[in-house]
Amino acid sequence: MNKKSAAKVAKRRSGLIGFYSRKFIFFCGVFLLAFLAFNFIQTNKYSADVESINIGNSNQNSVISVSVDDNGIIRLNGKNVGKTELVNGYDEIRLPVLDNGGEYYDQLKILLSLPKGSAYKTKHEILAIHGVGSTQTYVNDPDTIEYDASQVSAYATITIVAQIPKGVINHPIIDQIINFFRGLEFNVWLLLALVLPIITFLYMTFFLRYLYRINKIDSPDREISAPPMALPPAIVGALFRGKVGSREIAATLIDLARRKDIVILDRERGFAFSKGRFDDRLLGYEKILLSKIFRNNLTSDRAEIERRINNHLYSKKMSIVSAGIYAITTRLGYFKVNPRSIHAKYRLIGILTFLFGLTAFILSLRFQLISTYSSFFWVGMMVSALIVAFSASNIPLRTQIGNEALSNWLAFKKFLSNPKPIPYTPTVIELFEAYLPYAIVLDCEVEWAKRFEEHNFIIPEWFLTDKVGLGLDEFCLSLFPIVSYVARSFAALREPGFE
Amino acid sequence: MNSSISKLLYGGGIFFDILKWLILVVIVVTIINSYWYSIFLVDGVSMETSFMNKQMMLSDKSFYRGEADPERGEVVIVKYPGDPQNKQYLKRVIGLPTEKVVIAKNKVYINGKALEESYISPGTEIFPSGTWTLKNNEYFLMGDNRPQSNDSRYFGPVEKRFFVGKAIFMIYPVFQGVGLPRYNI
Repeated sequence: MNKKSAAKVAKRRSGLIGFYSRKFIFFCGVFLLAFLAFNFIQTNKYSADVESINIGNSNQNSVISVSVDDNGIIRLNGKNVGKTELVNGYDEIRLPVLDNGGEYYDQLKILLSLPKGSAYKTKHEILAIHGVGSTQTYVNDPDTIEYDASQVSAYATITIVAQIPKGVINHPIIDQIINFFRGLEFNVWLLLALVLPIITFLYMTFFLRYLYRINKIDSPDREISAPPMALPPAIVGALFRGKVGSREIAATLIDLARRKDIVILDRERGFAFSKGRFDDRLLGYEKILLSKIFRNNLTSDRAEIERRINNHLYSKKMSIVSAGIYAITTRLGYFKVNPRSIHAKYRLIGILTFLFGLTAFILSLRFQLISTYSSFFWVGMMVSALIVAFSASNIPLRTQIGNEALSNWLAFKKFLSNPKPIPYTPTVIELFEAYLPYAIVLDCEVEWAKRFEEHNFIIPEWFLTDKVGLGLDEFCLSLFPIVSYVARSFAALREPGFE
Repeated sequence: MNSSISKLLYGGGIFFDILKWLILVVIVVTIINSYWYSIFLVDGVSMETSFMNKQMMLSDKSFYRGEADPERGEVVIVKYPGDPQNKQYLKRVIGLPTEKVVIAKNKVYINGKALEESYISPGTEIFPSGTWTLKNNEYFLMGDNRPQSNDSRYFGPVEKRFFVGKAIFMIYPVFQGVGLPRYNI
């Protein structure tokens, strides 16, 4: 290797000042967020508004017609510009008819036509800022209120206000519903945002409990002292838990070590994995797991594995490992359908609902749909969607065959977790090693190890350590954290839908 | 799949994950900004010399949502009653509900008593003159820069429903709380 490429490799391997793409992009995201926040502040202004507009001196007069239909629709010069709003028992019109018009008016007349001859019963007011000489309002006839402004500057804002008594406007049902929601207070919307996810959570909990109940397998009375079938531990784990997690990966690592495909090194300066013999009987997912650990090297130490973990948020290889375990378990007839596809389906429903909620949330903030506070409802919907998406991976999918197979494995678990010590035989430690991966996927590795406490322990040849005189307890305390750390880190790298 | 695209996705599918956190942060920040606390810029000169143009401030939007009522001297953010959807102003509360506000001879009178305002320079002209009797839920608002402020003198008293929040902190260029002035009333 020439000097240049050696330096390049050294630079790439430097843990101290290493360039981790994941972290780099994360901080890019943080800076992007800060940039967006800065820009937001730039647009979030409250006006300390001034009133110093010069009134012009041309001689224009203008008449603006505003009308209100029976159903509350407001029309400005014939054009629909909105609806009346229910405020304090009145149907209120608050309409800016002129805003920065750009032209000076000597006289501006606004005629508001109301339905059912309600003008005399209606409260009326004109608000004029930014350069208006004088204003007045009065009722012309039972149907019309006149708003007058004189010497209206080109920058003026003129708003007409009218409060029509209840009963004049006939609101359609949909408007009545909207008005009802509009009348709800902040705390009610906030409560809604909390209640919606709670209802979803309770529904999903009861739904899952119901499914578990009808799929329930009673703890068997019998005990089986050997694995009921020659299945890889990861498949047993998937059958037992209904999903593939870090325990299945940890058990596969120990199983591979036991089969001499890898060697686990526990050294003073950290752990490492070393390639063992060449084995052409490896399962597909096992091959991929090994390629994830080693790539093209014969040894992979902690720093190298951590670099691989840190450089990825998702790992295609780890996703394929999960998919492979699910596929074998389904092919054996233990699941009705591949759990991955069901989890993905519910996750998709959850994500689509989340996106719908997110869109509605943005729109409700931007356009204040229904109510200023209605965005809380959509937040509640988004949280509910996430609950559906995340609880999907707990849906039990075992078939009758799966339940029967699991019943046998539970009988084996009973044997593994039996508190009675295993009687001594010359091969007793080999027995411990052989069943250890199954004990891990069946959640009873501690109980299984306790059964061997009384025997002299010999460290397996697939576990190399600097420490001397290691007993069973120390062996477990050295091995379990290593495989558990690697397995959890690798499991976390799977893409959404592969968990 | 092209190897570079593959690398982008798996080294990683980072964009998805960052997007997830980005959405969460944006939603939380947006909610806090919309309903509780918001950082904003003063836009204009009508609150000078108390608050200068382009000064950065923090507002509390939850304050008036409950039972709390605005107090005299509080610097408040209100929706302009003539265009509540589009215009929001920063003003100071001068007159409280049921009070009679009179502006005459460059002075503000509350229920007949001249209001002494420490933040107004002596000799400042206050016009136009007028008299306003406030209803139960109405407040009279004015800018501190009296000759150059568009406030209740022009658009009348403002109902409580138009109040958005109150300014509680000045963030930039100085970091300090917004205190309540002392009045003789």
